[in-house]
Amino acid sequence: MTTDEAPAPGEGAGGAGQCKRPAFDTSVANQARIYDYLLGGKDNYEVDRVATDAVLAIYPGMVFNAKANRAFLGRAVRFLAGEAGIRQFLDIGTGIPTAGNTHQVAQDVAPESRVVYVDYDPIVLAHARALLTGTDVGATEYIDADLRDTDTVLGEARQLLDFTKPVAITLLAILHAVPEADDPHAIVARLLDAVPPGSYLAVTHIASDLLDAQTQQGLTGVSDRMVQQDFSFRPRAEVTRFFTGMDLVPPGLVRVEEWRPEPGQDDAAKSSLWAGIGRKR
Amino acid sequence: MDNEGPDSEQLLSGLEGSAGDSAVLRMRLGTELRRLREAAGITPDRAGFEIRASRSKISRLENGRVKLKNRDVTDLLVLYGVTDEAVRSKFLALVIRSNVPDWWGEYSDILPGWFENYLGLEAAAATIRSFEVQFVNGLFQTADYARAVTGLGRKSAEDDEIERWVKLRLQRQELLSRPDPPNVWSVMDETVLRRPAGDAAVMRAQYRHLVEVAELPHVTLQVIPFAKGAHAGESGSFTVLRFEEPDLPDVVYLEQLTNAFYLEQRADVERYLEVVDEISGAALTPDETTRLIEQAARDT
Repeated sequence: MTTDEAPAPGEGAGGAGQCKRPAFDTSVANQARIYDYLLGGKDNYEVDRVATDAVLAIYPGMVFNAKANRAFLGRAVRFLAGEAGIRQFLDIGTGIPTAGNTHQVAQDVAPESRVVYVDYDPIVLAHARALLTGTDVGATEYIDADLRDTDTVLGEARQLLDFTKPVAITLLAILHAVPEADDPHAIVARLLDAVPPGSYLAVTHIASDLLDAQTQQGLTGVSDRMVQQDFSFRPRAEVTRFFTGMDLVPPGLVRVEEWRPEPGQDDAAKSSLWAGIGRKR
Repeated sequence: MDNEGPDSEQLLSGLEGSAGDSAVLRMRLGTELRRLREAAGITPDRAGFEIRASRSKISRLENGRVKLKNRDVTDLLVLYGVTDEAVRSKFLALVIRSNVPDWWGEYSDILPGWFENYLGLEAAAATIRSFEVQFVNGLFQTADYARAVTGLGRKSAEDDEIERWVKLRLQRQELLSRPDPPNVWSVMDETVLRRPAGDAAVMRAQYRHLVEVAELPHVTLQVIPFAKGAHAGESGSFTVLRFEEPDLPDVVYLEQLTNAFYLEQRADVERYLEVVDEISGAALTPDETTRLIEQAARDT
């Protein structure tokens, strides 16, 4: 599952470019804090644990999803900073800091890497500013913006990154918090338009074709009743469409744990997340 | 938080050790004992019986709140099926080290027990978050500022006693420069900056020092400005300590004039986490905070 990005219940999706911040509210569960709890973090509240337990009663595999998504972040950023030679990262939907954050992985491979974190949740961002601090030679910056407000995201990112050189954009477990009404494909297309050929996009997304209908209904019900953010399942073809104008890096779009697994990785468990990395033509 | 203090059940009853590096070690050894016990499928009651104690003693021991005795640890390791002589002797050597008096032992004449406990937890913490409404966080005070605020609360104290308090405070600050320092994230009300302690020169030096420490990668300072109006900090000052070990609970430290409360019931802790989360979201960013402190220095 997720970091955040989506309107609070009842606020409606609105037009693209509208910025809808989640209010800090410990009476309703929040995706960033649920993700923290699934990963064994301590930055979550009773209400988040209750919602997570309701999720796990329907789909116990969510714990593996969260862990596999986090492990993918590590492999993806190592690939991007290493083999792909990327030195600029735009990590949208930062989430609550935990071990192995994007700038740590990137700056471990290439200390001069610049990492810009984007999140629309002021509390998540406060945590990021406090705990996600970079190396002396590299840089770590923060943008307070909603993914859907691509003007703000790109306008500020342009001040912090050199858009004449390749950028890796990571959208991990966040696009499923953007409903169709907000046209996530158009949002991703606007982001990719802004960066030069040779740039990369990494996506993970919950899969409608890896979960049965009853499980999806159950999870949607929990999210509607108890969670601040939306939850949209999408099939492989729809997730692939985010990479329009890009070449998918081998092995292509696969289950998140199958993307260049590390030796010794547990291969018994199966996630329900699609994952891929594309290179802009 | 209401004005009423927490009831006695909420207090961390077992915090009677003195420790710094020893406290850290004790918490780690306790965690290890819990893992061994759970791996062996033994209940706390059974483990307690084995060492002629209660299950709550086992819990305090596993949370690192009490000193470990060689004899108890030896018996527990046998019960948990640890038979490798090398492992056992290493464990017992660590137990002896965990009972070495801490650096603040030399201040025992001025240190109340309830504050000694805090020093141990502070040294063991991986993350220290605080909200300050009156004074600069003790970890960031200059000697002159510390001298000024220590003098306020101890009108009758002899000068040399105040000097020892100042020295103790500076020695605590050494944790900021140790190889594996904790993350210290402190949000202060703007009042803290504007209320002078000592003369203008003392305050200017204190401002400069704050700007310097804020540059440390593991230190974050934020100010909640007057312009933000009323905020969630009706609680007064407090500190939340978090430990690396997943099964050690967060501890909220509330200091009073003659005592301190240690809260670790999750429901209580969450009230304080809520407050500190909300305030850090509303406060100036670390960069804006540095500019405000520099401005305050120019205004002084």
